[in-house]
Amino acid sequence: MERAVHVSTADSFSLDEWFVIALARTIRDGEVTFHGFGSPCAQVAMHVAKRTHARRMLLVEGATYACNPDPPFIPPTGNDASLQRGAAYRMRFEEFFDAAIRGDVDRMFLSGGQIDGYGNTNVTAIGADDYPATLPKVKLGGGGGGCNLAATIGHLTLWTTRHRSGRALVQHCDFITDMGHRTPAGSRSGLGYSGGGPQWLVTELGIFDFDTEGDTQGAARLRQLFPDVDLETVRAATGFELRVAPDLSSVRPPSAAELAVLRGIDPLGVRRSEFSAAELRRTFSYSASGRCQC
Amino acid sequence: MGFHLDPDKRVPVDRAATLVADGAMVALGGGLSARLPMALVRELIRQGRQGLHVVGSAHGIDVDLLVAAGAIAVCEESYVGFEQDLGLAPAFRRAAERGTIEVRESCCDTILMQLRAAEFGLPFLPVRGVRGSDILRLHPEYGEVRCPFTAETLVAVPPLRPDIVLIHALLADRQGNLHLEQPYVLDERFAAASRNVVATAERIVSTEEVAAAGITIPGHLVAAVSEVPFGAHPSSCYPAYAYDRPHLAGYVRAAAAGDGELACYLERFVTGVPDEEGYRKVVGEEHLSALGRWSESTTAWKGLFT
Repeated sequence: MERAVHVSTADSFSLDEWFVIALARTIRDGEVTFHGFGSPCAQVAMHVAKRTHARRMLLVEGATYACNPDPPFIPPTGNDASLQRGAAYRMRFEEFFDAAIRGDVDRMFLSGGQIDGYGNTNVTAIGADDYPATLPKVKLGGGGGGCNLAATIGHLTLWTTRHRSGRALVQHCDFITDMGHRTPAGSRSGLGYSGGGPQWLVTELGIFDFDTEGDTQGAARLRQLFPDVDLETVRAATGFELRVAPDLSSVRPPSAAELAVLRGIDPLGVRRSEFSAAELRRTFSYSASGRCQC
Repeated sequence: MGFHLDPDKRVPVDRAATLVADGAMVALGGGLSARLPMALVRELIRQGRQGLHVVGSAHGIDVDLLVAAGAIAVCEESYVGFEQDLGLAPAFRRAAERGTIEVRESCCDTILMQLRAAEFGLPFLPVRGVRGSDILRLHPEYGEVRCPFTAETLVAVPPLRPDIVLIHALLADRQGNLHLEQPYVLDERFAAASRNVVATAERIVSTEEVAAAGITIPGHLVAAVSEVPFGAHPSSCYPAYAYDRPHLAGYVRAAAAGDGELACYLERFVTGVPDEEGYRKVVGEEHLSALGRWSESTTAWKGLFT
């Protein structure tokens, strides 16, 4: 895949940059954080967080299990030696999974070909709701460690870069690979999960959180919009019933420091591989007042 | 099973591959596009192996190529693909959508616990999660167990005991002691849980040299070892070489096109060359040695990936 050199400057920035920074902000300082493989946006976001607001976090690389590496660049594959550079310690595979299963990992990033309103995700198969009895239209790659980790990790940050397609946020996943707040088999507490489940869902249109109590506990709720997106666009693209927070706001623009760190850590632009060409053309700039213009 | 105590287990890679029988349960070492046992994979295809049941965590061209060659009946990996960069695994995807392979998609920690059950000699182990996931539908063999101490209900999984695991190492000695660089992925667990380990290595050296580098997998678990330079290509084997992204991209294109183009790839790089020496010639010695220049500078390293 050819990657265009990004054209953003100090005064302007692109949607892919802003999106990754929004992902980074879901990490709280001091958290033990992990991303799955094949997740360049989440991977870059973790390195941005580590170098800006979350310097005390323990960053565990998704396929090398290196602790707090200082990679010279983010490569297009998750299992590359560049992602171990500068790490004093590299966990074994089983060391990471044991820690996550016993509850010592605070946050993980998860995505999916389909995501429903309770944060269940499908990375297994699309086009047959009784797979494997019926063959699927599209066999996806598979879930890696998600269906174990989604139960026990402290919080999940979900993301998709294909919300606008109308196929990503769905009423029901054809297949639930990784469990969100509620599945047909029951709620998280009923199923005995110790982790908190999805906390944020970041899309290229806006940012959702999940209700923490009441009848709608575990249901996604739109909290923030990117400023070039209107509510009707989100509603049309969302397969589940769109619930909107009363204090709906605009996503906070990136700081100069966040942009500088992002551009330094991702010179190859691997994050861009997650976006359609149209989304990559979305650029923003700061006006004289410091507000973002689209 | 017993330990393998022969003092000299060196064999040519085609002989090593004969230890994998048609229909065997085969674990594949390495992960994604790193340290995949590609020389053994290619040799199995040259020998026309069929009906394999592959198990592992997150894999790429190793599984896809075996599917493309018709060697796999059952695929029990947690992921098969080329990550965001190069996308879905074309041959795997096609076979899964047509039902010509059985996909028992699994989950990394579940596989780990099943391997541990085999290592520990236990009839099952409980795992966390999985309940509530449709992954259960792909595994009628799983059970449930109620903890006698906490009364929690957990999914119970049986031991996973592969007939053989294929591992590519950086260094080996003649007894089969192996030195791997991290990440080891599941290779240590596979080695302990499987009936046999068959290994290739970039170089076979003295026991002293392997011991000085650190023995990751002891020779008493290893049945056969072959020296195969670039035996993981087109995946990486650091510090010897980075992965060959252009080659993988070319493979994905050919596999996505299918039929003639995929047959062409297989003929050119696998079945049409007699052995791994032939493979290295077709890929090109100069091209291969360029993959080793990642360490010269960050610019050179990045340059391999753009």
